[in-house]
Amino acid sequence: MTMFGSGGGFDLPRAQVGVSRWRRFRAGVDWPLVLAMVAIAAIGLLNLYSATHGTRHAGKFDQQVRWMFVGAIAFVVATVIDYRAIVRLAWFALAAAIVALIVVDVVGQGAKGSERWLYIGTLGGQPSELAKLAVILVLARLLHDTAGAKPSWQSLVPRIAALVVPVVLIAVQPDLGTASLLTLIMLTVGFLAMRDLWPMVYTLFVMVLAVPILYETMHDYQKQRVLAFLEPSADPNGSGWHTRQSIFAVGSGKVTGKGYMEGTQNQFDFLPEHWTDFPFSVWAEEWGFLGSLVLIVLFGFLIVWILNVAVNARDHAGAVLCTGIAAMTFWHVVVNVAMVLGMAPVVGVTLPFISYGGSSLLTFFLAMGMVASVSLRKHGY
Amino acid sequence: MTPASPEIARRMRWVMLVLLLVFGGLVVRLWQLQVLRGDRYYHQTVENVVHERYLPSIRGRILDRSGVPLADNRPAFNIYATPRTFTPAVAAELRRLLGLSDEEMDKVAARVETGRKRATRHPVLVLEDQPRERAARIEQERFRLPDLEVRHEPYRYYPQGALAAHVLGYMSQMTADEVERLEGGAYEPDELVGRYGLESMWENYLRGKMGTERFAVDARGQRLDEATAAGLIQGDRIIEPVAGYSLVLTIDAGLQKLAEKAVAPFPAAAVAVIEVKSGRVLALVSKPSFDPNVMTGHLTRAEAKFLNDDPRKPFIDKTLRAQYPPGSTFKFITTIAALEDGLAQEEELVTCPGSYERSGTTFDCTASHGKLDLLAAIQHSCNIYFWTLAERIGIDRMAEVANEYGFGSRTGVGLNGDNPGRIPTRAWYEQHTRFKIGYTINSATGQGDVEVTVMQLAMAYAALANGGTLFVPQVVDRVVRADGGTVIPYDPQVKQRVTTPPEVVDLWRRGMWKAVNEVGGTGYGHATSAVVTIAGKTGTAQVKAKRSKKDEAQIRGWHPSADHAWFAGWAPAEDPTIAIVVLIEHGGSGGKVAGPVAKAILEGWWTKVRAPAP
Repeated sequence: MTMFGSGGGFDLPRAQVGVSRWRRFRAGVDWPLVLAMVAIAAIGLLNLYSATHGTRHAGKFDQQVRWMFVGAIAFVVATVIDYRAIVRLAWFALAAAIVALIVVDVVGQGAKGSERWLYIGTLGGQPSELAKLAVILVLARLLHDTAGAKPSWQSLVPRIAALVVPVVLIAVQPDLGTASLLTLIMLTVGFLAMRDLWPMVYTLFVMVLAVPILYETMHDYQKQRVLAFLEPSADPNGSGWHTRQSIFAVGSGKVTGKGYMEGTQNQFDFLPEHWTDFPFSVWAEEWGFLGSLVLIVLFGFLIVWILNVAVNARDHAGAVLCTGIAAMTFWHVVVNVAMVLGMAPVVGVTLPFISYGGSSLLTFFLAMGMVASVSLRKHGY
Repeated sequence: MTPASPEIARRMRWVMLVLLLVFGGLVVRLWQLQVLRGDRYYHQTVENVVHERYLPSIRGRILDRSGVPLADNRPAFNIYATPRTFTPAVAAELRRLLGLSDEEMDKVAARVETGRKRATRHPVLVLEDQPRERAARIEQERFRLPDLEVRHEPYRYYPQGALAAHVLGYMSQMTADEVERLEGGAYEPDELVGRYGLESMWENYLRGKMGTERFAVDARGQRLDEATAAGLIQGDRIIEPVAGYSLVLTIDAGLQKLAEKAVAPFPAAAVAVIEVKSGRVLALVSKPSFDPNVMTGHLTRAEAKFLNDDPRKPFIDKTLRAQYPPGSTFKFITTIAALEDGLAQEEELVTCPGSYERSGTTFDCTASHGKLDLLAAIQHSCNIYFWTLAERIGIDRMAEVANEYGFGSRTGVGLNGDNPGRIPTRAWYEQHTRFKIGYTINSATGQGDVEVTVMQLAMAYAALANGGTLFVPQVVDRVVRADGGTVIPYDPQVKQRVTTPPEVVDLWRRGMWKAVNEVGGTGYGHATSAVVTIAGKTGTAQVKAKRSKKDEAQIRGWHPSADHAWFAGWAPAEDPTIAIVVLIEHGGSGGKVAGPVAKAILEGWWTKVRAPAP
């Protein structure tokens, strides 16, 4: 097995040489991945329609459909392009992400006092979403470069420091959800890909020390959310409101749900902004335990499948890339659903393909495209 | 290290395990919320959407015997606030808009806090019975202050002001404690409840049954449209309120007014006027009084303090709750006991030297009456005559007769305390101290430890007047529906029949006649009337507990150590129709002070209130 591909572009299985390119491409496409993704995205659209129809937010559905098209194109493009070419550009991607984050920190427009948004013309985006992909790419690049040989500290430290920069920039926005998510992704990838686990232990130690400092930089409303999570009954109508209402919504769905577009918690606005952070609660209220189970199983399948692609990747870069994307998907789902179920504080972490928002959709479509790209090129002989 | 190295594969298995555990945890949590606790949360979400609002019932009115309204309802503007949205900014705006005082703001804040503890989305009454201008100002600002609401609701009022305040009582908001206790009993925490008098005792009749309106709201508390609401609400949308029953009293508003006017010059007094042949109460006065309109939702802290600090205790009903030594009005007990037992004769003469000595104690009579017979003793209210009799009768026998006339037990009117009073016996004294003959002597003239209520004395005199029927005093004549139809008629109720032989009662009645209508009688000139013949007995009861000079200085003309002035009697003397008891607290001489009051009331009844008999 070669450690690094012989070249860019299409690097298709030799066994199929002679068959038309399109048929070879079609055969190489990871259909289970695509199907799982499309199923989840379809649920997302269905759910968003229920969450917004008949309100002044109804336009969000059309907007999301547009983003879906853009996302689908991004997926195809990312599938077609050889991931190794992208991995080679990882440092540029990270640099671009860092610049965008700095711009956002300086001039960004805030929701609730957090600067997360960047506008180019009327097109808004959250660089922190795309920064996750950049970090995963750099991880792929880094672990690929250092694989085999024992790296010197002198070469490693600056690179790891470069990875910490976006985390810090996101944390000071402050967007603690994404910052911790990024950290979790790095730790997961590190656990799976690093030869020696001791640096991880050190990093964890430093992180624990950093928690109080981070807490100090948070906005009051964020602190309240954390406190509300720790003691939800203390102020049921204040900070604990979201969590309580979300639990009511989920629980009230019972086994089979209240029926599509029949969720009272959803329809009568008891969950503010439920299309971004709480779409799962809308789904659970209207489709019940069975519906929730279907969605959880779909996500579980998607993540396991991506890890499967990672294991079968032709090279280390592809493996790390897929591992990172699996980790990203996993943590997004877990943190978001746990938050909806009152098991985690309310943080702005989206549910992949379900939450409303272009940045998140685009990020995940691109990510899945890269996985498909790795999958397409798995036969490296 | 390649992707397929055994070490990585091992770690991958760990990762898979963690993934399985974490997703499994989420599924378990979903199971817990949706399957195990689903029903509970389902109800919670219904509660989120479906709100209830009570529709106040119209409280029954309280009418006098001829239909004059004493307690009624009028429309009023009540202002409601929703605790969840009642921020300090809204509070400040409300204050500015209405020009509220500190005290009013405190009240508003306290009510919002009480409401917040129950349900933050449920509007609470913060200001009741507001002037039209204030209501209009809130209405004008409804777009800026959407969670302040003005409701037009019936409000209790008392068209006659303070008239018969102790009988009627007043209403007030429930305390936090009561809210908790009564919440299950279909009470809304904003409701006023009867607090005193009939309003309190007849609450269940007067209140009616509140209705309920159920409606659906979204998260901001905005009402959803009818079609949506219909789909969400199961069962009735509106349950109409049921109006309360009204009470028709035996009280005559005209006589009540007259009686209150008659005691107006005195700082503290009580009057009971009873229809002799039925025990119906025609007037019942307790002074000092309060205005139930003020008490019902408009009492300021200063007013409350003033009323509570008043040493005359305005909230104690002086006809039923407070008990007093009856003084000489009690002598009929001694007389009847002695005559019944054959221990006295009408013609027996006793010499009154002005004082009486027993076991080292000297008891003073009102004067040196010289030689007199029983009738003259009643007429002049000679203590020594009755002390002499008392020694023959003994304290226990006197107590027996007193009990027969209703003393020492509740009258049964069921209002404002209805104190049983105290009729001491030998055993009672043995229990508390050592019995002395002096106690018997004191009891004979309604002093010492004998204590009665004004109502008890009035009922006993009514029994003397009607030939021996001791009635339960009746204040409510009938319960009627809003349309006037009678629901429950109440017939006169006999408490007990006294067994005094008619000739014994007759002697006492002749003595009473002389006391008022013959020169030298204690009530002569004071209660003697040209309009209607009045028979009566005066009493000047010494006050045991001397109060401080401080109290004395506080109220003009009120001397807490002065004697109580009593007059108990009836008219017309020959064929009594109404009995009256007047007590002027610390008024001094019974004949001089209480006599003219009784006369004024009785004369007023015959000349002004009741059409003169043909």
